[in-house]
Amino acid sequence: MGKYILKRILFFIPTLVIISLLAFVISINAPGDPLDRMVSANNSGGEASLQSLNTTKEKERWRKKLGLDLPVFYISISNRATPDTLYKVYDDTKREGLNRLIKQYGNWEEISSYHRSIYPLLQAHQHIIIDSVTAAMYGKNVLADTLNESKFTVISLFSAYDDNVIQTKFRQLERMYAAYPVFDELKTLLEETKLHYAAINKNASAYKNYIPTIHFYAYNQYHRWIFGDGNWLTGKGSKDCRGLIRGDFGYSYETKLPVSSVIADRMRWSLLFTLISIILAYMISLPIGIKAAAHKNSLFDRTSSVVLFILYSMPAFWVATLLLMTFANTNVLPWFPASGIQPATGIPEDASIFQTIGIRLPYLILPTICYTYAQLAFLSRITRVSTLEIISQDYIRTAHAKGLSERAVIYKHAFRNALLPIITIFSNIFPLALSGSVILETIFTIPGMGQQIFQAILAKDYPVIIDVFTLTGVLTLIGYLFADILYAVADPRISYASK
Amino acid sequence: MKTKKQQHTDHSLRAYAWKQFRHNRPAYVSLYVLGLLALIAIFSPIIANEKPLYISYKGESYFPAFSFKKNYVIPHSDGTTENIQLDIADWKHMSLDKVIWAPVPYSPGKADNKNTHYKGPGDEQLFTDNNGNTVPMPARFRHRLGTGNLGEDILSGLIHGARISLTIGFISMAIATFIGLILGSIAGYFGDNRLITTRGRFWMTALGIIAAWFYAFQVRQIILEDAIKESGMKLLLQLVLSLIIFSVVVFIFSQAGKFIGKLPWLRKKVYIHADSLISRLIEIFYSMPTFILIITIAAIAKPSLVNLMVIIGLTSWTGIARFTRAEFLKIRNLEYIQAARSLGFSEMKIIMRHALPNGLAPALVTIAFGIAAAILTESGLSFLGIGVPADIVTWGSLVNEGRANFSAWWLVIFPGLAIFITVTAYNLIGEGLRDALDPRLKK
Repeated sequence: MGKYILKRILFFIPTLVIISLLAFVISINAPGDPLDRMVSANNSGGEASLQSLNTTKEKERWRKKLGLDLPVFYISISNRATPDTLYKVYDDTKREGLNRLIKQYGNWEEISSYHRSIYPLLQAHQHIIIDSVTAAMYGKNVLADTLNESKFTVISLFSAYDDNVIQTKFRQLERMYAAYPVFDELKTLLEETKLHYAAINKNASAYKNYIPTIHFYAYNQYHRWIFGDGNWLTGKGSKDCRGLIRGDFGYSYETKLPVSSVIADRMRWSLLFTLISIILAYMISLPIGIKAAAHKNSLFDRTSSVVLFILYSMPAFWVATLLLMTFANTNVLPWFPASGIQPATGIPEDASIFQTIGIRLPYLILPTICYTYAQLAFLSRITRVSTLEIISQDYIRTAHAKGLSERAVIYKHAFRNALLPIITIFSNIFPLALSGSVILETIFTIPGMGQQIFQAILAKDYPVIIDVFTLTGVLTLIGYLFADILYAVADPRISYASK
Repeated sequence: MKTKKQQHTDHSLRAYAWKQFRHNRPAYVSLYVLGLLALIAIFSPIIANEKPLYISYKGESYFPAFSFKKNYVIPHSDGTTENIQLDIADWKHMSLDKVIWAPVPYSPGKADNKNTHYKGPGDEQLFTDNNGNTVPMPARFRHRLGTGNLGEDILSGLIHGARISLTIGFISMAIATFIGLILGSIAGYFGDNRLITTRGRFWMTALGIIAAWFYAFQVRQIILEDAIKESGMKLLLQLVLSLIIFSVVVFIFSQAGKFIGKLPWLRKKVYIHADSLISRLIEIFYSMPTFILIITIAAIAKPSLVNLMVIIGLTSWTGIARFTRAEFLKIRNLEYIQAARSLGFSEMKIIMRHALPNGLAPALVTIAFGIAAAILTESGLSFLGIGVPADIVTWGSLVNEGRANFSAWWLVIFPGLAIFITVTAYNLIGEGLRDALDPRLKK
């Protein structure tokens, strides 16, 4: 038995790996630059240049903190032309420009020296001092404007990759510098950049793009996300990230706080509703299913199956809205509060547990109904079918022949054996209830994980989305494990040793 | 003679199942309901459209509802021309000589300034007559199921919503069926011991897949990225091109593997455990929180109906694969398959021609339930406003609008009923199919 459970747990590892990989792939492909999100809110006011300097520094800090300066995954298939350090270029537009140049010419040496030669050209703009003589000669504003224009053109060189575009930009710059001798320093630097660019054209080796290479990285973003930035097993020496396996879920874009600080509290509400509704559903549907099976084709059997079937086909958000419209509507029946889990004034601090429950109860009734009703049909149908199957078996006939009462036969002999498929169905219901929480928690404004993921989606807060997804995946797996173990305990006929 | 023979063949499972299905009243009625819904969905632009079906204007005949033109240039008698833009023209206030309106003379989501702020089906609705006076709504133009906040016609939204729901249900399940049938039949037919190859060919093919991925997608990365930015058509074209490159490279490597597989050490036989691999994959996908996965992807991908169909399709194939696998496990040992094998037919031909037609039945049940589930998922998502473009009116988005104003019951009741009826119809059909195909219930 212990061996079986261990085996099941081991079996979940590949599933977990796949879930985490999926989550990772999704988060890598999420649109937008996370650094922009992390930094933007911090900077408001201040002088423009100072602000941009601050932003760059801040971005660099967050880059380190989020591990974005690492390669993405353990393996990367690339080509001979692309260097395996390209990911270190952190500016998206620059990396894109470089990447496209590589795809065109395939000679990284020349491309990188061209790229590097742009930096001194850009920096030289700060050295240009417009003294009073030159200013008087050409007009101060004209010079300042030209300098600015030149600066922007040079910056745009970083992301330019089309040959025509680059040549046009060179010509524009030359024209500017030729007009004003004050820019002589820039002129010489531009000549150098042009030489480097010409070298790219001359030594093009585009064929290298078609030769595959494989790189391996032991330490990468995925590894860091899962195992943290310290020792992967013990977690020693980790600074910014302790890893998913140690409960570190990273930072929310919105609040810039660690995600795990919010999630634990949220999970409590989701689990509470899920479990209460499952218990309720079992309590209601078992008797219905058994009674329907015991009196097959009776009026009760037929009505219950029709009613349950209708319930099964009704979308949860519709039922929830209808319930709110009727029972939480001041114009119709104001019996229940429309949203939340407690009064706006909060719960008094000195309230006992029972008082707290008493205050909260009206808030919980409508959501619980919605959580529960959809599972009823499923559960009672399974109960009915499996009871029916059992009833037609020989030992039940024997029990009848012995003269046992109908009641004794059904509840003592049939029910026990009919229980097995009902238990396994737990593994279907649990994830269903968890998923349902997104819609129901949003409608009833319950502060659970479902609402969290919905809010995160509206705010495009990807780390939170990914973490909630991973967590629900883990919870679902635990649900399956639980059902499997229950099954193993309940059915001694199945031998687990052999399988 | 012939009739006798036909009577004989009528004992086939297919004929028997159809007979059983027809006796199942609710399921049979559901077929008709779905047929009606499908008709509404197909003809929705004719049934509910603010553009008239036919107009006669200044002596000329036009068919605005059927026209793909952006505007009409209408010559006047005094030499000037009038330009009518089809999508923003105020048809109801034009002096038309003759006009035939669509049965519901409103388009979904279009505002009606006179009937904003939730006008119920029974409320007083207003209309501007041609003289500019506000008058009670003429019976022909009444919003029969009420309006929303901007005066949008709900009935029109319902009719066009049918189209979206049915399309999403159908196409997503078509994708799921495609994946499920392929994986399920491979797993069931080949099992763990029927897919045999040489060591050389196995490793060459594995290498070929990596190489193919490199040449089809990595090398063409920039072309593909540019195509994404440009248009869906371009992307499709480039993707097809990539897939062709992919299969060509795999094919070349696999053929090379055939020769390499003749060398001494590489000659050894390798069993590909197709069943174990695919079963594991099914279990992994089965134990994933599908709805959360769909929401997560839908949140990150661009909101579009096509994305939604693909996402739902890619996550809901497990049931079909499981049933197909189980059925193929049974079929592969039957005499007629053995006969086909001994006649030397290729495995591909046996699967496609002989096994698949017979193994399809259990998948049908899952497909029917799957469509119901896909429609529920879609309406849930559009209720939340995730994954569906904001300007598209769906049943789910209508219910969501009703949530903003609880006194507008018509916004909640009617779309909800539409979802409920559609889902019930599919569920009943699934149910009927299951009963009809279950040999244990055979009388």
